[in-house]
Amino acid sequence: MINEQRRTFLKGAAFTVAGATLATGVFESVVEASGAESAEFTNTPENLDFYPPLEEWDSFRELDGDDWKRGGIERNGVRSEENPDGILVHDYTIVPSVCSNCEAGCGLTAWVDKKTMTVRKYMGNPLHSGSRGRNCAKGYATESQMYDPDRIPFPIKRAPGSKRGEGKWIRTTWDEALQTIGKKINETLKRGDEISKKMIIYHVGRPNENGFSGRVPHTMGIDGYDSHTNICSAGAREGSIQWANDDRNSPDWANAKLIFLQSSHAADAGHYFQQSAGLIADARKRGAKMVVLDPRLSNSAGIADLWLPVWPGTETALYLYLANRILNEKDINGDDLVDHKFVKDWINWERLMANREYLKFMVTKGYISKMPKDESYESFIELIRELYSPYTKEFVVKECKLEGMEYKLDQLFEIFIDAGPRVATYMWRAGPIAHRGGWMITRAAFLPLALRGALAGDIGGVSWHHWHEVSVGGKGDKATVAGKRPDKVDVWNELAWPPEYPLSTYEMSMILPHLMMDDEWRNKWNARGLKIPDRLAVWIPRMYNPVWINPDGFRWIECLKDESRMELTFNLSPTWSETNWYCDYVLPVGLAGERHDQQSAPTKPEQWTAFRQPVLRVALEKMGWKPKVPYRGTLEAHMKAGLGEVWEENEFFAELLCLHADPDGSLGVRKHWESAKHPGQPVTIKEYYDAAFSLLPKLKKAAKAAYPKSEYPCYEFMRDRGAWTENTNIYRPQEKRLRFDGAYYYAHGHKYPAYDVEKDRFGVLWVEHDGRRKSIGIEIDGELYEGFHTPDKKLDLFCEWLIDWKWPEYALPIYPRSEREYDKMIHIVSHVHHRYMKKDNEFALNTVFRLPYNIHTRSVNSKHLMEISQNHNPVWIYTKDAERLGIKRGDAIKVRIVDTVSGLESGYFVAMAVPTEGTFPGVLACSHHAGRWKLKNAVEIPGFEHELGVMGVGAPLYEMTMDGRVGTLKPKEGIDEGIKSRPKSWQFKEFNKDLDNIWWSGLSGSWQNAVAPVHPDPVAGNHAWHQKVIIEKAGKDDQIGDIWVNYENNFKTYKAWRDELTRPLTSEDRERRPWWIKRPVVPLSKKAYEFRVKDL
Amino acid sequence: MNELLTKQLARINLYALISRVMMKEVDEDFLKTLEKDEVILSFFPNYIQWEKPKELDRKTLKEQFLDVDFSNLFVLHMIPYESFYRRDDQMLETGGDNPVVQIYNRYDFRVQLDKARAVGPDHIGIELEFMYMLASSEYKAIEEGDFAAACEIARIERDFLRDHLLEWAPMFLQNIKAEAGTPFYYDAASLALEFLLNDYEYLNALVTDKGCGYENG
Repeated sequence: MINEQRRTFLKGAAFTVAGATLATGVFESVVEASGAESAEFTNTPENLDFYPPLEEWDSFRELDGDDWKRGGIERNGVRSEENPDGILVHDYTIVPSVCSNCEAGCGLTAWVDKKTMTVRKYMGNPLHSGSRGRNCAKGYATESQMYDPDRIPFPIKRAPGSKRGEGKWIRTTWDEALQTIGKKINETLKRGDEISKKMIIYHVGRPNENGFSGRVPHTMGIDGYDSHTNICSAGAREGSIQWANDDRNSPDWANAKLIFLQSSHAADAGHYFQQSAGLIADARKRGAKMVVLDPRLSNSAGIADLWLPVWPGTETALYLYLANRILNEKDINGDDLVDHKFVKDWINWERLMANREYLKFMVTKGYISKMPKDESYESFIELIRELYSPYTKEFVVKECKLEGMEYKLDQLFEIFIDAGPRVATYMWRAGPIAHRGGWMITRAAFLPLALRGALAGDIGGVSWHHWHEVSVGGKGDKATVAGKRPDKVDVWNELAWPPEYPLSTYEMSMILPHLMMDDEWRNKWNARGLKIPDRLAVWIPRMYNPVWINPDGFRWIECLKDESRMELTFNLSPTWSETNWYCDYVLPVGLAGERHDQQSAPTKPEQWTAFRQPVLRVALEKMGWKPKVPYRGTLEAHMKAGLGEVWEENEFFAELLCLHADPDGSLGVRKHWESAKHPGQPVTIKEYYDAAFSLLPKLKKAAKAAYPKSEYPCYEFMRDRGAWTENTNIYRPQEKRLRFDGAYYYAHGHKYPAYDVEKDRFGVLWVEHDGRRKSIGIEIDGELYEGFHTPDKKLDLFCEWLIDWKWPEYALPIYPRSEREYDKMIHIVSHVHHRYMKKDNEFALNTVFRLPYNIHTRSVNSKHLMEISQNHNPVWIYTKDAERLGIKRGDAIKVRIVDTVSGLESGYFVAMAVPTEGTFPGVLACSHHAGRWKLKNAVEIPGFEHELGVMGVGAPLYEMTMDGRVGTLKPKEGIDEGIKSRPKSWQFKEFNKDLDNIWWSGLSGSWQNAVAPVHPDPVAGNHAWHQKVIIEKAGKDDQIGDIWVNYENNFKTYKAWRDELTRPLTSEDRERRPWWIKRPVVPLSKKAYEFRVKDL
Repeated sequence: MNELLTKQLARINLYALISRVMMKEVDEDFLKTLEKDEVILSFFPNYIQWEKPKELDRKTLKEQFLDVDFSNLFVLHMIPYESFYRRDDQMLETGGDNPVVQIYNRYDFRVQLDKARAVGPDHIGIELEFMYMLASSEYKAIEEGDFAAACEIARIERDFLRDHLLEWAPMFLQNIKAEAGTPFYYDAASLALEFLLNDYEYLNALVTDKGCGYENG
């Protein structure tokens, strides 16, 4: 449509200025590249793979990233003597490893520069079928953690004559530490009595490995393992254990039609998130819907098809409402919505119907109105239709506070039903760890899935974790003189498993100081016949920071400072931490690319394992270097490469327990760590992991084919690849057939003579084992299956053993239906339930959501992660709530924590308020991942020329006071000021030229964990993280970051929960705990389980 | 011969002018040049009639009118990239897969995107400046009497116009004309549109299977 009059363009030649003056000049002329040297590089590759093929990993040349954007080698050529301006070519050895910044175990590759023996970058591992070559920010941050200017360069020890916490340190050697610690362990174990076997505790943070950690106390013959699980995920695990006797569920995200999430976990921040998020994205691309239940508008909720914010802790009611509709409604064809085939075959309904006594109990409780007419399946369905019918829409709207969102409940139901059995979920943190009765949330959540057949472990549904995981890291026994696993341990440690919490999912590790400092408690139980020690000889945290991350941190500090209760303490830690400050030794061990671990995680329906490695050591060995002492290879390699005297647990414990703790072998410990191949010396990494990985038959076959002449083929196979997938497409695993040839039953790799096998009326096959009756399989409709891991081999809708273990009212998924029942069922009603919020300024505080770039105490040493996480941890408050209270964005508010059982106030923390529509009215949100502190910027080490900086990129400086009753913390100096007050980093200068750019003060978070009292769930034993809080505007002297804690009150609150809510073991009990459920991680004998106390 | 070089110079100058205007905001020097050069001004008939340049100093005119219009047209509401117009998914191809990058590379031209302040190499301003570069090269070849090379370059120009600019720029320029808030950008778009079509006709006639006939003047 050219309607303008034609113009004479020729006149353009008559411009008074030349075209060159007018033109912008965005094109640049080209310098020809020097041809020959550039031949292996091109600016126009045929494909854009991130990773070279495996054959090139030992030696891979790559152009430096600088200058790529401006034409690469075609302009400047490759750098050489003749062409100094050319682009630098790196000569790498690519060594696989595994990320260690969360539990997902994503693959990494370290790109080790052969000239400088430094890691220039960490990328993903394309051979890792779980993470598929991808990582989140935390994975790539491994490099900045490795070259953290404040990493601890050598073993340090509390200065003689100083008190714990004074901050006086001296340099020591690994040899001295081994000798001192070894001697102490030796003296303790030599006593040989029951109590001495409870006096060493190995306290493991997120383990990121599968079995080695448990092997340490197990080989010492002690019940001395504490995990961090009861502050992490124990609530969810309890629900899974009750359903399936399995630690956690394991979804098939990629093939699901509905991604059904409670909280932001999986899709944007939580457990296994990087791998899960990729699979969820794949599923959504194929049309899957996503539903997120969360009081907070998380990233996941923001992109979900349906966000359902419910009052935190009331999710149980919502799940039971779904169950009610599934049971009592029909589909458009008039058919039942229940998958009767699955429920009939694989849910343990027969046991409920056969238990007349319990059915009567249900009638008396008002769960059902009358006894069922018979034991048939049809009567069962009638029964549960009635049982769940009270959970109506009206009920759930009121309970979950969904007024105005009724339509969302209908949408949810429709989406849920449309997905059929392809509903994938992962019940983990958030609700289940946040509330009293959190475990019941998990228990109820699986009910609608079970009814729809989504728990069949089929494509797109939900299965259980241990079918999707590989655990061989603790099983390198064949490489040792013992040649087999140690015997079961004969003692039960009440400091980890006190008698008040027999069903606790994992150890009650977060109340260790409370137990240690509670003489009344210990004296009471000892008088009744138990033998509880009044002190620990050795306490060993491993990459763990309980002072900071556990609730009631001042109690931890009190306990750690008490040398009469904690005799010797040492932290195996790659970084400084609040806990290290109060230990006797800080022994620097490696990060993700500096240690050996076998790690596997149930992230999809397959079994993959990965191998974490000290990448500099592997690179050096590939270049022909050999350690002088073969069992100290990792330490020597790190010293050789200039990383410092950084070691790893594997070699440390092998040497400690072989040569120092049991030098003459008389304690029976040494043989488990002494090399079978080279007696007299500790087992080496190659020997140990070759034996461990050879337990995987397919890996072993592949390794032998790939390395036919190798002495350690399985080790080398994993060293070079870093990952292996043993089995894929693991669906409906419970239906694995159990073989019977007329004479023998073959199950789980064992053979049982028919005359030893007894079949009960429900078709379950039982054998005698270790003096106990153990089930090995089940017959359904004439077919034999291995079944689930429950004793009855089915999924336990009816958790019958809860009756014997004092909690009969909760043997079925249930939730109070009336005011009266709230009080009676207080154990499963959240302590932050809205019934406890009486005044305008009383709120539930949502604490446990994760931030995608911070992970508890593991990210403080990464300047990259710290930079992107600053000012991201305010207190979220609903806009209208803020308006009502006159709170504006950026205001400092005082958050007072009040307990709803004891009625006591714990104190307060001061934080920054951000009004937002992204949190539920009446619910505040503040993640407990921020608020790190230190008491000194740097530590002087006598005789060492440099100061050792303390968490310089991630923790501000604070002032602390504590007097045994009240503790306070007040910010003194921000991170930015702190780093400027120190001269340039002396460590890893090449990697830390940008420290001048640190702009963040880090003063945006508060150490809220210390204010929180510890209050364990009376059943699952987990700390219930959420808090009832009262908020007010901060006073003029208050500052964000301030905390004030009455930890004497906190002790009383802990006791109130214990005394008013638990149902402890009594003189009538004979066992410590149901023996068939998991009792991690040290296997205990029948003797250890025995319980005998007298009444006083 | 002189006539040929004059013709060629006109093409060079016009490509320089329109590429400059489409690439980034005008500056005061540019406005000064425009005002003083009647020939250039003659390509902006509506601008001449506009009262604002008469009322305001250059800085104010630029900041309050021309820059605002530029941002509206080239940054906020219109997408001045070929890939947006030509891809089915309307995505910008910002990387090495962009077809024009391969053409630039083939003839050893490297575009500096930061200088162009563009996210992709197929920005209207860059493509026009590429034509300017080619026309300049053609001019040099003619000047040196290397008619074969000049003709080859003319062929590249014609093909680039045919295969790229004319495939999308007319649509884009029509949109600019419809959206323009100042006579300046309206005129610039009109000029570019007409000139491109005119130049394609010229090149099509010039480049034949037998050569370009420069020898004949």
